[in-house]
Amino acid sequence: MELVQSERRDEAIALLLPAFRRRVFGLAYSFLRNREAAEDVTQDVFIKVWRALPRFDGRASLSTWIYTIARNASFSALRARRPHSSLSDPEVMDAVESADSASSADATLERAALLGLVDQLPTKQRQVIMLFYMEEQSHEEVATMLSMPVGTVKTLLHRARARLSAAVNI
Amino acid sequence: MSTPVTELDRHLLALFGGLDTGTDFDARLMACLQAESQADTAQRAIRARQEERERYRKALFGLQSWRRSMLRLLTLDTLGITLLLVAAVLTAWPHLNHNELNIPLQYGLYMETLIGLLLAAVPVVGMWSEQTRRPVRLL
Repeated sequence: MELVQSERRDEAIALLLPAFRRRVFGLAYSFLRNREAAEDVTQDVFIKVWRALPRFDGRASLSTWIYTIARNASFSALRARRPHSSLSDPEVMDAVESADSASSADATLERAALLGLVDQLPTKQRQVIMLFYMEEQSHEEVATMLSMPVGTVKTLLHRARARLSAAVNI
Repeated sequence: MSTPVTELDRHLLALFGGLDTGTDFDARLMACLQAESQADTAQRAIRARQEERERYRKALFGLQSWRRSMLRLLTLDTLGITLLLVAAVLTAWPHLNHNELNIPLQYGLYMETLIGLLLAAVPVVGMWSEQTRRPVRLL
């Protein structure tokens, strides 16, 4: 806040970037389901944050403010790029595979299947699942990111888990 | 959630736990911000120049309109004051004690003429200066 108020926004953004990059990217990815588009939105969000920092008055918390910008940017990107892709896109599958190159072919198939199932979940459930497991987020953090009550997040998470458990039988 | 409690949790963590931007994301973003920053500085300089020009234009306009109104006032007022002064002097002159006013008596006519000429010259000089003034170039 001190850096923001003293208009040292370059320093402020250098501090904000490592703290929020993954979260903003995850949020954008949960909306867009496309890695490249999510990266573009993440970049766009940080540029917007950098521009708007001098006007940030601290009424809302910094994280709430950044997540709001990220949600709005994701909605705009989503509207601009219909028809949307899915988590099962080749690029996503590549990312899954490259995440653990040592994993066996069976494990890769398992992951791909699970990814497909997550993709079939209703939007809100899919977002909650992705964000919750992305960085072992707390319910509160996911609720802030998606701007919904904590109770709703817990309910959505419970339902999504139940669906996935039933589908994969694990 | 501190530890994965089920197999599903483990799978989901493996699936989404490592989700992150590309390795060069930070560098690309900082380069973008640097470019933005430079553009922002240039824009601010242009804006400052425009604001300064606008301020100067307004000040100049204010000065010109003040000068014009002063000139108008000066012309009418000067004429009125001159007439009033002449009338007052002509009215008061016969009633003054001429013994106590030896010096003014000697030069009174000259002084009166001089004051009248000066007062009459003011609007003429004003109008002349307004017409011959160089147009002020804007920045």
